[in-house]
Amino acid sequence: MLALQVLVNGILLGGLYGLMALGMSLIWGVMNIVNIAHGALIMLGAYVTFWLFTLWGWDPFVSLPATIVLLFVYGYCLQRFLLNLIVRAQLFLTLLITFGVEVVMVNLARIVWSSDLRQVTPSYAGASFSVSGLTVPYVRLWVFATTVVLSVLFLLILEKTRLGRAIRATSEELRAARLTGIPVAHIYAVTFGLGAALAGAAGGLWGMLFPITPIMGGGLTLKSFVVAVLGGLGTMMGAVVGGLVLGLAESFTATYLGPTYPNAISFGLLVLILIVRPTGLVGRRS
Amino acid sequence: MALLEVRGMTKRFGGLAAVSEVSFDLQGGEILGLIGPNGSGKTTLVNLVTGALPRTAGEVRFRGGSIHGLSPHAIGRLGVSRTFQIVKPFRNLTVIENVMVGALFGSRGGAPSLAEARRRAEEVLDFVSLSHRAQTAADGLNVPERKRMELARALAMRPAVLLLDEVMAGLNPAEIDAAVALIKRIRDRGTTLIVIEHVMRAIRDLSDRIMVLFHGEKLTEGPPVEVLNNPEVVSAYLGRRYAERAGA
Amino acid sequence: MPPTQWTRAGVAALVVLALSLAPVALSPFLIQFLINLFMLAALAESWNIIGGFTGYASFGNVAFFGIGAYTTGVLLTVLKWPFALALPASGLLAMAFAALVGIPILRLKGHYFAIATLGVAETMREIVYNLKITGGGTGLTMPITKSALPFFYLMFGILVAATAINWWLSASRFGYGLVAIREDEDAAMAMGINAALYKTAAFALSGAFAGLVGGVSAYWITFIDPDGVFKVIITIQMIIMAVFGGMGTVVGPLLGALVLASVSELLSTQLVSLAELFNGLIVILVVLFMPKGLAEVISKREFSLRTLARNLREYRM
Repeated sequence: MLALQVLVNGILLGGLYGLMALGMSLIWGVMNIVNIAHGALIMLGAYVTFWLFTLWGWDPFVSLPATIVLLFVYGYCLQRFLLNLIVRAQLFLTLLITFGVEVVMVNLARIVWSSDLRQVTPSYAGASFSVSGLTVPYVRLWVFATTVVLSVLFLLILEKTRLGRAIRATSEELRAARLTGIPVAHIYAVTFGLGAALAGAAGGLWGMLFPITPIMGGGLTLKSFVVAVLGGLGTMMGAVVGGLVLGLAESFTATYLGPTYPNAISFGLLVLILIVRPTGLVGRRS
Repeated sequence: MALLEVRGMTKRFGGLAAVSEVSFDLQGGEILGLIGPNGSGKTTLVNLVTGALPRTAGEVRFRGGSIHGLSPHAIGRLGVSRTFQIVKPFRNLTVIENVMVGALFGSRGGAPSLAEARRRAEEVLDFVSLSHRAQTAADGLNVPERKRMELARALAMRPAVLLLDEVMAGLNPAEIDAAVALIKRIRDRGTTLIVIEHVMRAIRDLSDRIMVLFHGEKLTEGPPVEVLNNPEVVSAYLGRRYAERAGA
Repeated sequence: MPPTQWTRAGVAALVVLALSLAPVALSPFLIQFLINLFMLAALAESWNIIGGFTGYASFGNVAFFGIGAYTTGVLLTVLKWPFALALPASGLLAMAFAALVGIPILRLKGHYFAIATLGVAETMREIVYNLKITGGGTGLTMPITKSALPFFYLMFGILVAATAINWWLSASRFGYGLVAIREDEDAAMAMGINAALYKTAAFALSGAFAGLVGGVSAYWITFIDPDGVFKVIITIQMIIMAVFGGMGTVVGPLLGALVLASVSELLSTQLVSLAELFNGLIVILVVLFMPKGLAEVISKREFSLRTLARNLREYRM
């Protein structure tokens, strides 16, 4: 029965990891930018949710759309006015600049909001239900449901809407997209905005389950990277699959090996995948 | 014993055979022309022989010894050099520095010192008539100069066998003539050559023998006059109708 | 050597001499500043070996710094070794670790390599955090030393050595091989360069110096803990100094360290977050306005607002 509990925990967590990775995978796949500040965006989303809850009493699930919109605008501006300036630079410089952004964001958060641990604790926070020996906290279940809904919504946008088509066209062939009249600077900014929105949503949901601090993002950036690579770069389904794999791996190692091992496992997985099958579990061999 | 012996070289990508059961000998001192339509596997064959691509099957012997499984750098050190079809200059280095790399790491370990490597590089640049550009950044060369630098780099390695991959692409007729003369001088200095080209008159002029690849397979091989008038070869390049006109 | 080489060597010798005599004339504050400067410059020079010359931009070199720091820490506090033995051991261990980790990781390219190196640094932090011998989360405390002088000379010595290695790279067969790998690895291999061996050697050298710096730092600061010693910002500082000064040049990382460390000192505050914030802003500004570094500006002898504006527009959409 313990195994089943661990499995369920892994799946619930995995959904959240998948949502996080979707944002990173989108930006990476379309613009070839690995956003080191991804975790900082997640952190920002968590803090927005926290302050909306603490100052105005907004239920964290209810405030999610607001978080999403705010993070979208922030991400759009970041890309449009900063990152668009270095898109054609070598990979290493884009990595470096997103590092700079991360450092600025994290330290601003520390200065403005202090490093105190925050938590979003709505009234239903501790409640859970049991079914055949399994304990499932309500919050985790609803977080999982929300991640599913958001992921599906996002995939629909990407596949079915005109905007989604424009994004996919731009990612495949930038020059051709330009020639067909697609405003690429704007599309890039929208893409980053979407990625930031997804990260922010993930952050808001994360904040309901775990403590919020300015430095929470660092490890999450790496985990998102692991998930994106695990699943296969540029494939959105891959992010979902990868998220589940990581969630399960962490859940099982935490229970059977000890609570200090999950992080080591994720990095170990990363190095393993990069060496053995760099295109990921779902990705196609190029 | 041939200088280079290739037996049954095969390379499959998934279900597609890019090169299939290609065998040939390269005799010391000769110029072997290698022709075939685009996509026939010529560059792949070069990559296989030089170890840049792992083979699916086949054997390569250089000076009687198997070079199967050796990495490209080891094969380069043994004395087999190549140029790349799309040139790969070291952009942030000057022309002479580019060539010095070849001199430093070439066959049999290369030059013993930086000064000696510089001397060898200067000599090679002089040989290919690029001395006047020695201090220019590799970035600032025009197309024929880039091709000559690519060639100079490989020459600086003092190879026994040199594989040239379409060095004449993009050259005008006068430049082509100069290239042909240069390649002949390279052979006269003691290097054996395989020359991949699309420029027919150059190949006809240069080669002692010509080998034809088509869809990854060796179609035929022989003296230029025979091969270039072979209806199958004409058909492979230009299609059946032209071949019929040539009297297939 | 041609005349310019002589003048360069002469200037270098003078600087080294002047700095060696500096402690006699300078205030304790300046000595502290210089020790910090030497540390950053040495780290930048060490990163330059793998990042600047070889073109493999590692984002995880703080791992080697931390390993060096902890090796010294453990050897001093737990095994009671003398520092004279602990320090070389730190350098050697960091070097061995870099070589070992380098073998699989250097097969990766671009983003994958960068993130893998980040992962290595993070993993090292986790491992050190979880081991008992390293004191886990509480860290290690070294015996106190009375004077800052030995540290001045030690850091300076390591800096001189690291710079000397870079200088050697700029004029040696090995260095040519590394640069060739950076410019075009496939062509380099076709020309007889054993890329795998050379890359790993460069990575190991880079790690060795970072480890030595870490060892000296540990003893100087007297307290180390996983979060302090494996901080990502340390790698970022190394990188941005090398970039700002001029990646792949010998003097670039020195210039970069000098300018950026001085600027940091000017802007320095009690608040760690503010200091780091400035660091982050500097990173963004350097990438936007001076990605090719000072060395290029100096060699082209043109530096104006127009240069900055041109750099800003160079890489945009």
